Amino acid sequence: MKKKNLGLVGTLIAAALAVSTLVAPSASAANEIVVWADETRGPHLAKLIAAKGDWVPGFTVKIVTFSSYAALGDALDKATGTSGPDIFVGGNDWVVASAKSGKLAPVTLTASQKAQFTPGQLYDLSYGGKLYGVPLDINNVGMIYNTALVKSAPKTFGDMVDFYQANKTKLNLKNGLCVTGGGMSWGGLSVFSALGADPYVLTSRGKVDVNKGFNPTTFGANMKKYLIDPSTHKSNGFWASSNTTCNDDFYAGKVPYSIIGNWEWATYVAKGFAMNLQPVPGVNGGYGHMFGSVSGAFLTSYADKHGVAVGAKSLLVNLFASTPGQVAYEAIEGRPPAAKGAQADAGVSEAQKGFGAAASLAGIPQIGAILDNKAGGSNYWDSSGDYWTQTLINGKDATTEARKLAKIWRANVSAAASLL
Amino acid sequence: MRGKFALVTKIIFLGITTAILALLTESAFAQKQYVIGSFILIAALALNLVYFTSISVPFKFFLPGILFFIAFVIAPIFFTAQMSGYKYQTGNYLDKKAALEQVINLGAQPDSQGTTFDLTAGKNSANEYAILVSDITNDKYFISTQNKRVEVPKALAKFDANGVAIEAPDFKAISANVLATNDAYSKIHYMYEGKYYIAVQTQNSGGVFRQELSYSADTGVLTNTVTGATYVDNHRGNFAKVGTPSEILSPGWRAPVWFENYSRLVTDKKVRTPLVRVFIWTFSFALLSVLTTFALGLLLAIALNRKMRGRRVYRSILILPYAMPSVMSILIWAGMFDSDFGAVNSILHSHFHWFQNPSLARGIVLLVNLWLGFPYFYLICSGSLQAIPAELSEAAAIDGANPRQVFRKITLPLLLQILSPLLIASFAFNFNNFNIIYLLTGGGPTQTLNGEIAGATDILISYTYKIAFGSQSFQDFGLASAISVIIFLLVASISMYGLRRSKVMETFE
Repeated sequence: MKKKNLGLVGTLIAAALAVSTLVAPSASAANEIVVWADETRGPHLAKLIAAKGDWVPGFTVKIVTFSSYAALGDALDKATGTSGPDIFVGGNDWVVASAKSGKLAPVTLTASQKAQFTPGQLYDLSYGGKLYGVPLDINNVGMIYNTALVKSAPKTFGDMVDFYQANKTKLNLKNGLCVTGGGMSWGGLSVFSALGADPYVLTSRGKVDVNKGFNPTTFGANMKKYLIDPSTHKSNGFWASSNTTCNDDFYAGKVPYSIIGNWEWATYVAKGFAMNLQPVPGVNGGYGHMFGSVSGAFLTSYADKHGVAVGAKSLLVNLFASTPGQVAYEAIEGRPPAAKGAQADAGVSEAQKGFGAAASLAGIPQIGAILDNKAGGSNYWDSSGDYWTQTLINGKDATTEARKLAKIWRANVSAAASLL
Repeated sequence: MRGKFALVTKIIFLGITTAILALLTESAFAQKQYVIGSFILIAALALNLVYFTSISVPFKFFLPGILFFIAFVIAPIFFTAQMSGYKYQTGNYLDKKAALEQVINLGAQPDSQGTTFDLTAGKNSANEYAILVSDITNDKYFISTQNKRVEVPKALAKFDANGVAIEAPDFKAISANVLATNDAYSKIHYMYEGKYYIAVQTQNSGGVFRQELSYSADTGVLTNTVTGATYVDNHRGNFAKVGTPSEILSPGWRAPVWFENYSRLVTDKKVRTPLVRVFIWTFSFALLSVLTTFALGLLLAIALNRKMRGRRVYRSILILPYAMPSVMSILIWAGMFDSDFGAVNSILHSHFHWFQNPSLARGIVLLVNLWLGFPYFYLICSGSLQAIPAELSEAAAIDGANPRQVFRKITLPLLLQILSPLLIASFAFNFNNFNIIYLLTGGGPTQTLNGEIAGATDILISYTYKIAFGSQSFQDFGLASAISVIIFLLVASISMYGLRRSKVMETFE
């Protein structure tokens, strides 16, 4: 190589290194707490922090928003000690996998902080006996009815089916009941449970009874009585076999009853629907269970590596778990807050309180260790969806398929017993 | 003038490239990604060396391609092959050092009452970190450091509005702003009672804990100091309880299991059964896709190879499916077959669930792939037909061959000789045609109640994706990597065999 060229190369590399040093992104400040959230919560949290940034003295809070809940999940999967957040906000179904993989760090609450939440809510965010986050808001569904079609609240599941059968031609109804909130598995639990099938049975003390499962014969008979057309052996049209057009059909007055998520009530109110919320009624009165799970703000193990573990825990307690924090946040987000103090606050809307009341009537904890388990060959999410498909669409015998379903769910409960 | 301009442009371009690569190198080293950092550094040096000297003129042309080939072909293959030999799944993401650190951290157990205290952080007169603890329930106050605990008479302390002690003799509180920039005080185990210590939780609270797991670096054994249980490395990425190996501690780490992921493909019924079914469908799908797209493309090419009115218009229309982004086309087809609002059901006045029947779903996948793939074969068949000398057909016709014989004996063999590499490439492409499966059917329908794990239309690559990324609750990258390696070997073998049979490689020898 010519000496001239060598000098040129050396100069160029030196200049390039100098430039790259200048433009190198700086690492997070030592007192900056990084919070990851999805596309709806992220902007709401950013708005909250912009209005009041001093939730933790000495620390600043940076909100990183992802384009979707799935994108947030993907980013968390790929997060490392250097790139990961200090806190993230998400559903409780992320607890098991994240805790098992060492992405979460335990949180210790004081007695007064714990008293703000039900044991079930704290259980939802725990794994292996340790709490990994604080409950932020309740995730549940509620059933509403279109008062232009139905004049009074149904008392039993049969009331709804009878109304549909009597009026489907006259009112040009497409279906009787559909689910917009959470899909056919998460939101559809209400119907499974109303007809007698629960993924796990709870004792009177709220613990999972690992020796019990649902009765497939009873459930199958209820399916045939209420949801199956005896001539075609497929759906009788009452329970929509998919939820792709449920919103539009309900808005158009073609479906009298709808199971909606607590994050979407404002849209229904804006369209003039009353929030006459209730759980889905059971076949003999009572109510079908719904997942009354919580979303939480989770502490990651990265916070310690970033030197902000104390700040992050303080933010969890001062903002995410506190009554003032939840009231301020839910005023923007619109979900029912998890903390008892916030639930009772005058700033929380009637719809939010309605969902909270529905959850307290029929909510059960969403136990990821059971629901995500595949020991029976499939998890709750896939097997429940397949049950609807096989019976309502493919016309397979409801009781035979219910036996398969019961076997899968029992096996999943047994396999998860050691984690409960 | 032109030479100076080129030199300046080269210097600017290389300067920017080097700066970006230097930035990436710095970032990679900062994140302890030494292999990636070293590669980028070597790439930067190589670029400068090759383009600022005359060391090798051919390299000026080949180097960018070689670097991209290493980065985006060789490295992923190598990494995938490496990961296929590891237990790399949910619960086993970390390296052993990080996993052990977390296991020990999780071994800190709160006392049975879950006792917590209000506290104020600061230092004592010996300049040691200390906490002023308020046991408000028992009306007791004390200062704790790592080594000692000193009771503070209530009368000597000062309190805030909540009754929390904030000042005491031999204690000076540190402001939150100062503590926020240095977390050393939060790492200390402050003395409490016996083996119990106070760990700082938030800026003004702490909890009582006991370290129940201790690790001996000499023996590599973790011991629960309360129960006496011991845990050893099970050489499968976890600490397992001695005597009860199924009881493991989380998190685990990525551990080499050599060929276990491969042997699972054969020995584990839950893996093997769906895999065999998926493999048969993958092979059928790829083969049928090539045959159908080639047949239709050739048919149209022959039809439009003769002069006719509006031939250009027809040709343009036929290329349209190819011109549209396939993602859009697939989603449109998926919408057309939707049971609720799809055009197909609307036209037929039916409410058929097209994607719930395994055979129909497979048929639709093949149909949509035919729509997406035939323009490609139409184009190349058109070009190839024009490349076949017309004299051959004319001579055959003079010898009495009818058009069908001309096609079978002359045109088709010549076409196949020309198109063999493309047919093989098309087979390899369809073997891994993830987009159409993922976007059209998602691999379904899957009859999970009957024990099915893979969907009826899942091909190997979509099934691998499900194993690796399909579930939030459990991901098995090791097994997915093993299947990926098998796919690679299969496609490579088939392609090589096909290419050898077609003798196309002889051209390059």
